[in-house]
Amino acid sequence: MAVIDVSMTDAPRETTVARATQERRAAWALTAPALILMVIVLLAPVIIAGLLSFTNYSLGNSGFDWVGADNYEKLFTRSTYEKMFIATLTYVVTVVPLSVGLGLGAALLINTLGRFREIYKTIYFLPVMATLLAMAIAWEFMLHPSIGMINRTLEATCGTPFEVVPFIANGCADRFPLWLGDKRYAIWVICFIGIWQGFGFNMVLYLAGLTSVHRELYHAAEMDGAKSAWDRFRLVTWPALGPTTVFVVTISCIRAFQVFDTIEAFWPQGGGPNKSTYVMMFAIFEKGIQQNLIGIGSAITMLFLAFVMFLTLIQRWLVERKVHYK
Amino acid sequence: MAGLSIENVTKRFGETEVLKGVSLDIADGEFVSLVGPSGCGKSTLLRIIAGLETQGAGSVRIGGTPVEDQRAADRNLSMVFQSYALYPHLTVGENIAVPLRMRRLNGVQRLPLVGGLMPGTRAVAREIGQHVADAATMLEIGHLLDRKPGQLSGGQRQRVALGRALVRDPAAFLLDEPLSNLDAKLRVQTRAEIAQLHRRLAATFVYVTHDQVEAMTMSDRIAVMMGGRILQCAPPDVVYEDPDRIEVAEFIGSPKINILPLEILPDGRLSLQDRALDLAVVEGARGVASLGLRPEALRLKSGDSPLRGRVVHSENLGSEMFVQIDVADLQERITLRATPEQRGALALGTPVALDFDLHKALIFDADGARIRRLRHLNAAASEVA
Ligand SMILES: Nc1ncnc2c1ncn2[C@@H]1O[C@H](COP(=O)(O)OP(=O)(O)OP(=O)(O)O)[C@@H](O)[C@H]1O
Ligand SMILES: [Mg+2]
Repeated sequence: MAVIDVSMTDAPRETTVARATQERRAAWALTAPALILMVIVLLAPVIIAGLLSFTNYSLGNSGFDWVGADNYEKLFTRSTYEKMFIATLTYVVTVVPLSVGLGLGAALLINTLGRFREIYKTIYFLPVMATLLAMAIAWEFMLHPSIGMINRTLEATCGTPFEVVPFIANGCADRFPLWLGDKRYAIWVICFIGIWQGFGFNMVLYLAGLTSVHRELYHAAEMDGAKSAWDRFRLVTWPALGPTTVFVVTISCIRAFQVFDTIEAFWPQGGGPNKSTYVMMFAIFEKGIQQNLIGIGSAITMLFLAFVMFLTLIQRWLVERKVHYK
Repeated sequence: MAGLSIENVTKRFGETEVLKGVSLDIADGEFVSLVGPSGCGKSTLLRIIAGLETQGAGSVRIGGTPVEDQRAADRNLSMVFQSYALYPHLTVGENIAVPLRMRRLNGVQRLPLVGGLMPGTRAVAREIGQHVADAATMLEIGHLLDRKPGQLSGGQRQRVALGRALVRDPAAFLLDEPLSNLDAKLRVQTRAEIAQLHRRLAATFVYVTHDQVEAMTMSDRIAVMMGGRILQCAPPDVVYEDPDRIEVAEFIGSPKINILPLEILPDGRLSLQDRALDLAVVEGARGVASLGLRPEALRLKSGDSPLRGRVVHSENLGSEMFVQIDVADLQERITLRATPEQRGALALGTPVALDFDLHKALIFDADGARIRRLRHLNAAASEVA
């Protein structure tokens, strides 16, 4: 009652304005903790890294000099970093399409299964759950040039009809590849392990996506004359998986850019034979942590962030424009 | 165009038997409505005809040929799904074009970009475009052709689904409640359009609906389904006036038919409310039975009658009036159709006596089967066949 009296008689306008200001202040006060936390935890490190990338700072040094774009210039001129870009892009361009394709294929196959579905799902998902570092040790044993399971198996094929394959014939005549020690094979081994490890994850995402495909759409497609599995896939399944695919590809790209554990496990020093597996994450680790060159490490980090940001923006754009069918 | 013949089809999902031996013959060019309460198996039957579901036993023939070994795509039927089932990523126009593209263009011609370069693709595509435009004009969705289904209202989606079915020239059309989501005006209009289309194409239609008016106005025959069986399949007027079973009589007709308990006396005479009627059964069991009276078979009477009660509710529709009467000893109210002029005599609470025409009385035995052989005892004893 009193409130109404005041606002009605005295100065209704002023009261409203005052209340609005007060509400605005309360709103800021309430969001402040979240905002501050976000700035400290998420934004500040990025900004600091961005600033450091223009310096020659090393941890422990009392001061540093601004070096302008020197660090970035090095990134684009030195041959080590050229190798870094080649290794990273080779890895991303190989692992992403193959792990997404295999994930989709496995999901489609498993989706048609009735009884053994859960078993297959678990088996394919096992490498995802296992630590890559531990798995890398197992792979290292298997890939050992002389006592490893892989070369032993290959040697067993010598003298059999398998020798018509040039690769095996060469191996038998000379020797089988050193795998991790050979700069021609090292990056592909890493790619293979990346695919082996990652496609189960994509498969699970696709399986979730497949449950949202409206069953009646397949019936409609059948009535409309889509007879082959390919027609049904094109008309119903693939469009329905659009949002899932965008997500899976983005996640796979980011994971591929982040590859590190296998390389660190196989070649703790140096990034593979002739730096053939010197990927970005490893470069950041080597420069920024092992060699304490914070400036150049920060510059690579910024580049890495730029790639990831770019991918995320593409994803958002695709999701909003293309695949939500609204 | 072809007729359909369904023989003793059964279907069970796990433990529940959904269809318990359904037989139905549909002539070439006939329009048959399937009506029945929700969950009685109408959609299931339609999907079995389409080939989307396999029957447990029995056979389906299309144009005389058994189709058990033909997949749905080869049966050349077109279907409107109860849930529309439109492709969400295609525009309305593309959705309607899908059945034509799938059947008239081969796999290579359907590829984007490359397909356009193949010989013949353009001519066929132009033809398809024309068919789509025609269908869209007929259904008044011409202005929606570039939208995605997600941007349409339920009724508009339903019309697109209808367009996708009607754009082809199949052996038969299977429509699963295609008008259930349209507003009243559009429903009447589309109803008329489908009926017209049926006359023009002389195509076979199987039409599932909940709406009795649709079934009554559009069909050559109505098949009343209940509990996985077709209880009766006959022209609309026969189903209404001469039902085979009490369930059919109760399901068809709005307002619902009045069902009164009846007793068949040992000598075969029928007794209503302990008063013998001038009607007797010729044969069959004695004991309890039911009397079905349509609201229009009843009339007001002055004086003595077995049916006496009070007016408890009345609905004046302008051209006619439905009056509910509470009769002592009866659990359900009796509905009477009257003319609005009789308003005066039918004010709420007024006691009334009712009479009915014995020739319009429908007698059902204890199991609900119709008893057709009756003897009229009054005056010249006549038998109603
Ligand atoms: N795939 C299925 N699995 C198990 N039960 C099913 C399946 N499809 C339908 N049923 C059951 O079969 C019965 C008949 O279903 P149907 O869809 O044919 O009913 P309907 O007559 O079309 O009903 P409505 O008028 O509500 O559409 C229902 O009881 C339903 O629960
Ligand atoms: Mg249904």
